[in-house]
Amino acid sequence: MATPPRGLAGRLSGVERSLPVWVLAALGLVVLMALPLAWLAWISVSSERGATLAHYREAFTDTALQKALWNTVVLAFWVGLVSVAVGAPLAWLTARTDVPGKSLIRALVMASFVTPPFLGAFAWVMLAGPNAGLLNKLWREWTGASDALVNIFSMPGLVFVVAIYTFPYVYIMIANTLALIASDLEEAATGLGAGRLTVARTITLPMVMPAVVSGFILSVLQALALFGSPAILALPAGFHTITTQVWSFFHFPPKTETAAAVSIPLLLATALLLLVQKRLLGRRGYASVGGKGGQRRTIRLRGWRYPALAGCLAVMACAIFLPYSMLAKAAFARAWAQPLTRDNFTLGNFSFTFFEYGATRAAIVNTLELGVMTASVGAGFVALLAYISNRRLVPGHQIVAFLALAPVVIPGVVLAVALFIAYTRPPLLLYGTLWILFIAYLTKEMPVGYAQSEATFRAIPSDLEDAGRILGAGRLRVLRDVTVPLARSGVIAAWCFIFIGVIRELSASIILFTPNTRVMSVVIFDLKEEGQFGAIAVLGLVMLALTFATVSLVQAVLGRDVLGVRE
Amino acid sequence: MPGVSLRALTLRYGDVAAVESLTLDVKPGELVALLGPSGCGKTTTLRLVAGFLTPEAGEIWVGDRCVSSAASVVPPERRRMAMIFQSYALWPHMTVAQNVAYGLRFKPQLSRADRDRRVREMLGVVQLAGYEDRYPGELSGGQQQRVAVARALVVEPEILLLDEPLSNLDANLRDEMRLEIRRLHETFGITTLYVTHDQAEAMVISDRIAVLQQGRVVQVGSAEEIFHQPRTRFVAEFIGRTNLLEGVAVSPDAVACGPLRLRVAPVGLEPGARVVVSIRPHAVELVADGGVGSASNTLDGVVKRASFLGESVDYEIALAGTDVVIRATTPATRRLRPGQRVTLHVDPEACVPLPDQPAS
Repeated sequence: MATPPRGLAGRLSGVERSLPVWVLAALGLVVLMALPLAWLAWISVSSERGATLAHYREAFTDTALQKALWNTVVLAFWVGLVSVAVGAPLAWLTARTDVPGKSLIRALVMASFVTPPFLGAFAWVMLAGPNAGLLNKLWREWTGASDALVNIFSMPGLVFVVAIYTFPYVYIMIANTLALIASDLEEAATGLGAGRLTVARTITLPMVMPAVVSGFILSVLQALALFGSPAILALPAGFHTITTQVWSFFHFPPKTETAAAVSIPLLLATALLLLVQKRLLGRRGYASVGGKGGQRRTIRLRGWRYPALAGCLAVMACAIFLPYSMLAKAAFARAWAQPLTRDNFTLGNFSFTFFEYGATRAAIVNTLELGVMTASVGAGFVALLAYISNRRLVPGHQIVAFLALAPVVIPGVVLAVALFIAYTRPPLLLYGTLWILFIAYLTKEMPVGYAQSEATFRAIPSDLEDAGRILGAGRLRVLRDVTVPLARSGVIAAWCFIFIGVIRELSASIILFTPNTRVMSVVIFDLKEEGQFGAIAVLGLVMLALTFATVSLVQAVLGRDVLGVRE
Repeated sequence: MPGVSLRALTLRYGDVAAVESLTLDVKPGELVALLGPSGCGKTTTLRLVAGFLTPEAGEIWVGDRCVSSAASVVPPERRRMAMIFQSYALWPHMTVAQNVAYGLRFKPQLSRADRDRRVREMLGVVQLAGYEDRYPGELSGGQQQRVAVARALVVEPEILLLDEPLSNLDANLRDEMRLEIRRLHETFGITTLYVTHDQAEAMVISDRIAVLQQGRVVQVGSAEEIFHQPRTRFVAEFIGRTNLLEGVAVSPDAVACGPLRLRVAPVGLEPGARVVVSIRPHAVELVADGGVGSASNTLDGVVKRASFLGESVDYEIALAGTDVVIRATTPATRRLRPGQRVTLHVDPEACVPLPDQPAS
């Protein structure tokens, strides 16, 4: 009779041969996250004479920064409110009423969701700039007034332009929740004698309230972290927000310590807000809120059907129709402010952008390279991470899940500050190369990709793998024969989400780029300084085309739209 | 053909013991059912045997190989076992033939032609010839089940593990597949562990049944032994319906239940010990009032309720002079009415005394 294997050899024979793969992936994640954040924290308190709080004191006693902080609070709060005011009725109309054109409205909300906000901001500069803005010109022509109707370079203008691209967060939260509340709950109350308003007040509203508040918080977070729109609209209006302020710390000579000292509280505030939002939703992640629930009764709007549709389309006019057509017009016009007549029509902007202006070509190449590289590496990486945590392959797999989702709380500029500090010194000198942008994008897009991948593996029962193992396949072989083929569409979707995120990224790129490593978003931003609106419009259209092509790929692969899965 | 031996296996999840010092021997070529309610540790036991889990203590031996111990576990792919899952676990992206052939990929000594032939033969055995190119999603539940069986058997495993393989089938199909699995076992003679919570399934399919309770084997035996000679109150209650009468032993073969005195199967009771007497409903004979019963174990009662079940009638009978209600099942040929006085008789051999431990 053989004795059971003992000792080191026995132990090793029992160890999974695939274990190094999982451990390496998990360690890679830890390094990716820990290195920059540790440097950020350290630099914020470091000085030549040891630890100090001087940088914090310096930063927060600075009146300019205090003003920027206050502006950010005002901006974020109003964006949250406007997003709820727009997103909630839209969600209710499409989820519960017989408003016509529901699928069109949904498609447009999705379009608004994926539109890079800074492109919208540019378009609105051309639409509502005080002097040359198209709407203001029309206003003057019609009324003979000498004053502008609206000035987009103002706090209300900024709130408006940010909110038209953040309300989809509220929309998604509320539409998903409404889809879950069976109307028999409401009908039960009606049966007990409650009037329509009473039902709305006592049943529907309390059930939807957590979704409303968490939609509000998500919008606030977006506004808080946004760099592009404030830089385009607030700076000309003469005020800073916290993100533009942090960015300005990097103008020569760079004040990294101060930037770090501002970044840490911003990071904590974001984390806190997200924590509140999670608590509100309870343990049910909104991404997983599916279309379960009982029968839902459609509310008949009768005479209000078309006015309601008109309201929805008015919102979409602001978010999609007007800005998109403005960009299209500027792309084909010699002078964007003039009517698009035969004389004013040109393809010169395209040849200028693609062939003459060196910076744009290089930027398009850089962006595509980074997009493909980050999406490919990222999709593989998040798939590994999601697999590790879903199948509990390493001790501490909960930490893997936590770290993979953690970048959600890191605003782009904060991430950039941390990466700048971490990779401008040994052992990894990456600043000045595309690699630092790669790492920034990988980190920033990881949560989205991870959430998608986790859902993919959750949908593949581990029985399917176990069945392969017991028949003679090792874990890696099962991964190849069973898991990968079944996860393919989910991984492609994760690839697309990361790609979309990368090509539109501005807030981290703007701090991390160098003259040789400019990307499309950065060039668009630079072109503004030169007044090259035609080239901006062309690049914007390219970006939108890439985005929508990728979005349609996701829809084809997953058989559902992007709103259902993305946060 | 080796047997399987589980020796004092223990596995805890946190503080909860899923399997606690579990010992069981499966002889070569034997089919043993692991039977128990949900949460009794039967699936955990099966996954320990398969090598998906590592025991905290104890060992698993296959023939003269130790395949699992706390120190070392042979991975599932090197155990020469096959498993049939509750969900069937068919790969949706592979055809029936590809599913069945998968395990043969890891037998390099087989030529491609041999593989194809064995797949064809096995699909013939499970009556799925002609379905080679279908995908699992295009098959009925019963057909999927057969593919899962074929996929497991085609590799000629030393040990076959089945995890509630029939629980997703509807009742008629389940009855059919029970006999089918038994037939396949008799044909191939593979040492088999079969997890189920369905006692009827366990009785039809297995050579022996191991009843599990809270991670331990509480009784192992043939279906008849377990049904007629349950060793604990839990086993008596879990396998079939039974009447349990609490009492005190008065002699090695007699128990006093209140004013009643029952002669019981002779197991050598300690007088004065607290016991529970298990009496199967079908072992209770009913004699209409005035009928002559035999001398011992004859009780008087009144019919409280009679439920006609087609082939049989189920009675609830209140025993005279006590608050005990006993259930009796008789053939449907003769009917008693509620309120009618009856005399009951129970063969002492059918009165099984059990130690009176609550089912904890």
